[in-house]
Amino acid sequence: MQPIIELRNVVKVYSSPAGDYEALHGINLEIYPGEFFGILGKSGAGKSTLLNMITGVDRLTSGEVIVRARGREVSVHTLGENALALWRGRTIGVVYQSFQLLPMLNLLQNVMLPMDLCGDYHPRRSRERALELLRRVELEEHAFKPPAFISGGQQQRVAIARALANDPPILVADEPTGSLDSVTADHIFDFFEELVAEGKTIVMVTHDHGLMPRFDRYVRIVDGQLAEDPVEEVAV
Amino acid sequence: MRPRWQKVLSDIWDNKVRTLLVVLSIAVGVLAIGVIAGAYVIISHDMSVSYAAKNPANIEIRMDDFDEDFLNTLRDFDGVADVEGRRVFGMRARRVGDTAWKVLDIVAFKDFKANTINLLEPVRGVPAPEKGQIVLEKTVLEEISIAVGDELEVELPDGTTRRLEVVGVVLDSSTSAADFLAAPLAYITLDTAPSLGQPELYNRLYATLSEGQDDDAHIRAVFADLKDTIEKSGYDVGLTRRSKTHEHPLASIVNAVLGILMALGVLIVFLSSSLIANTLSALLQQHMRHIGVIKLIGGRNRQVFLMYLSLIFAFGVMALLIAVPLGGQGAYALAQFIADQMSFSLLGYRIVPISFVIQIAIGMLVPLVAGFVPVVRGTRVTVLQAISGDALRLQAGGPTRWERFQLRVTQALARRGIHVPRPLLISLRNTFRRRGRLALTLFTLTMGGAIFISVFNVRVTLNEYVRQVGNYFLADVTLDFERPYRLDEIRQYAMRLDGVTWVEGWAYASAEILYPDGTVADNINILAPPANSGLVSPLMISGRWITPQDRQKLVISEGIFDYYPDLKVGDTLPLKINAREEAWEVVGIFKFIGVEGILGYAPYEYIAAEQNLARRSYSYRLVAERHDRAYQKQLADRAAQAFRDWGFHVREAVPGLSTLDDASESLDILVTFLLIMALLTAVVGAMGLAGTMSMNVLERTREIGVMRAIGATDSAVMRMVITEGTLIGVISWGLAVVLSVPITYLLATIVSLAVFNTPITIVFTPLGYIIWIGLVLLLSAVSSVLPARNAARLTIREVLAYE
Ligand SMILES: Nc1ncnc2c1ncn2[C@@H]1O[C@H](COP(=O)(O)OP(=O)(O)O)[C@@H](O)[C@H]1O
Ligand SMILES: [Mg+2]
Repeated sequence: MQPIIELRNVVKVYSSPAGDYEALHGINLEIYPGEFFGILGKSGAGKSTLLNMITGVDRLTSGEVIVRARGREVSVHTLGENALALWRGRTIGVVYQSFQLLPMLNLLQNVMLPMDLCGDYHPRRSRERALELLRRVELEEHAFKPPAFISGGQQQRVAIARALANDPPILVADEPTGSLDSVTADHIFDFFEELVAEGKTIVMVTHDHGLMPRFDRYVRIVDGQLAEDPVEEVAV
Repeated sequence: MRPRWQKVLSDIWDNKVRTLLVVLSIAVGVLAIGVIAGAYVIISHDMSVSYAAKNPANIEIRMDDFDEDFLNTLRDFDGVADVEGRRVFGMRARRVGDTAWKVLDIVAFKDFKANTINLLEPVRGVPAPEKGQIVLEKTVLEEISIAVGDELEVELPDGTTRRLEVVGVVLDSSTSAADFLAAPLAYITLDTAPSLGQPELYNRLYATLSEGQDDDAHIRAVFADLKDTIEKSGYDVGLTRRSKTHEHPLASIVNAVLGILMALGVLIVFLSSSLIANTLSALLQQHMRHIGVIKLIGGRNRQVFLMYLSLIFAFGVMALLIAVPLGGQGAYALAQFIADQMSFSLLGYRIVPISFVIQIAIGMLVPLVAGFVPVVRGTRVTVLQAISGDALRLQAGGPTRWERFQLRVTQALARRGIHVPRPLLISLRNTFRRRGRLALTLFTLTMGGAIFISVFNVRVTLNEYVRQVGNYFLADVTLDFERPYRLDEIRQYAMRLDGVTWVEGWAYASAEILYPDGTVADNINILAPPANSGLVSPLMISGRWITPQDRQKLVISEGIFDYYPDLKVGDTLPLKINAREEAWEVVGIFKFIGVEGILGYAPYEYIAAEQNLARRSYSYRLVAERHDRAYQKQLADRAAQAFRDWGFHVREAVPGLSTLDDASESLDILVTFLLIMALLTAVVGAMGLAGTMSMNVLERTREIGVMRAIGATDSAVMRMVITEGTLIGVISWGLAVVLSVPITYLLATIVSLAVFNTPITIVFTPLGYIIWIGLVLLLSAVSSVLPARNAARLTIREVLAYE
């Protein structure tokens, strides 16, 4: 089977007035369709940087990131800015630790927004779909509230619903449970496992090693390099 | 609704203060332009149309008394369409029961129904008086509070009074259109004249031409023939005037004033667009994270760009909704005001399509242009910059040059033992942190201030000029008689009056200036004071003043340059005086308010002798020990009364500066307009400052929270913000002081060219500078108080949670 996401010798150097800083030193990584994949590491190790390389949110310095999804093989960093945005909107749902909902829109509109921007769904259909997604994350009754009126855990669920709006094959989450209590975090995790069971590929970053056992596979990243110990298979 | 348009809508609705700020800044500019452009179109059209509609005389001749028979001989005159005769005489009048007298020019018609020239427009009551009745021109009501049905009391030369019933009010836009110093008019029938001590004869001839009514050369030619004929018939001709049918005599002045207002309007648009740019770039700064999120979930640049463009578009539409209806009303109100001042009527309220179009264009284009750069820059932000909130840090890099400079200055001061208070230091740093925004705010506030200050300078400049021109009217009372009296006799009697210190008899001659080919160029009034008179202190441009030995020599006002642009002192000028053509030498040229034609001075000694009036005069100037207006007025009354009692035939006694009061009054109207515009620019400036301050505060919410967390009190936070606002105000004042110099020169020159036809000496006054520093301090304090209060009200928790 071909990997859905493939990183080849990815190097990322941050340039600043203080000098250059190499955050990723040649990462090679393969992630397969339907995997629940973990990226672990301490704060500052380069986890977010790595995710940004996959989503195309940031440019890599050298190497290549290839994503095979929706019947298309894409070398992420050859795409222009607009093509990249559209491709990402359709292919990868992104979830951050800080939920990044738009405060002036209600939950329903927040979830509808990606469909509006990418244009894959008719407006009426996108509304139905957004309501369905909110029902899945058990927030249908709050659909018309602004994000500020619900709890952090609920906001994160809306963010996930939004990430799923265009029905992307890949979901990428950067410490999605980082600012949630453990019970709420567990709920999110359960939901992710459900999605994986439905065939989504999920790449999730965390610095919490206690979560290790719940991934299908994971890598540890230390100072911009994959740790010595090989990628571990976790028996489920 | 699609979520992205919902977001645009929420951006408008949720931050109402910001929306209001942007909408108002657009609206101010649109309104200013709409009002001025609309008024301009209405005035420039209606002024000439309504002037022409009254069939204004192309030729007006003041002359010796003549009768209907003589008038009839002129009816078939070559090139003349129509002639009318009237009797016009000055008379003091008041409402029965009032104490103060006003001078009115009374116009007697033979038959109101036969009136075809200089038509009267009924305003109230009946437009045609019967015997013993009087109809007033509208401007009389500004001087005398009187209504239709009241009785008007007029004073005869012998001091007795008559009562006339006021039966109507009319508008006369032609009779004294060229002369805003003229006395108000009132109308009677010729058969009422005898009861006022006047003969039943005409003394003024009005004529319209059958063709070429707008051709100056043709009018001049017919006029010269007509005048020749009249003089050959044995009548003396006095002041004359020619005018075109389709051009209001004051059109050029009004257009110049509107032109200045228009320039200020354009400036306001300019300032308001800098305000819009400021607010929008702050808005996009605040929306950076939203833009990042939109791009993260699939938004393309074009979509983001369109969203913000529609936001701006919506701001423009809202501004138009406010400004367009208001602008239409305002335009008509301004036009009405000007029309009232100039005594003509408008053709009725209407929407001016062109100003409508201009307003819409400005309301749509200005925000789009002003917002283009901020929007393009804002939409270019990358997801990474936006999400990590790093955009600022990435752009700013290390400490700026200004920050390094400030650090060095602070350190240098500290070494000398001078410690700048920390809050002031923070204020200083904040003020200069956003240099683009600061520059725009300063620009707006500085322009507002500079114009404000300049308007005060222009006012003083105009008044000073009028005061200097007042030096031609230094006498406290001018006493005119119906017949000449001996100088010695009048002097003896006059000195008996309390307070009179000096008496002079003047002579007067009317003449025509000829072109070299012998055709008439213009009339000239030659005043002839004694050569050593101290009552005229002219503003000489070149040459010298009159001397007693001068024969056929004169000093002339610079209005002559209209006809002889290259005239120099020492040149001779062909004059037609007493029906003779003579060559007079110009010995000096002086400045004068030049609306009423050309003025000349020659010595009494020569003119009086030529008129066989040696040592006698019709007209006397009295000087009193006090020169205030009240005293002059009172002396004029006393003198008229006393001389009548002594048996002299007094025509009128006029207090010294009354004509100048009128001149200043009409200048004040102009200055008021300028001041309104200046205040508008100041308001735009203050709005800019308020916007800047609230943006600064908003952006520093986190910093303020930290300051409060480490113990800064509410008042310390407020003081910091207000200091910052005030600092900007003071800096803008300093810049405005500098900028006000060229603007004063520009404004004063444009105004004086328009009104006086000549550039005048610029005078500066501290008044504008003082008022503006007070105003700018107040404005900047007020416009930072609200943001400061908001800042102080934020709780630490709110602030630290702020994103
Ligand atoms: N925009 C940036 N500019 C410079 N250095 C950065 C930037 N973003 C991250 N870094 C640095 O790169 C390293 C990895 O950061 P990051 O990927 O955010 O770590 P993690 O997500 O594992 O906590 C850190 O040392 C961080 O300081
Ligand atoms: Mg991270």
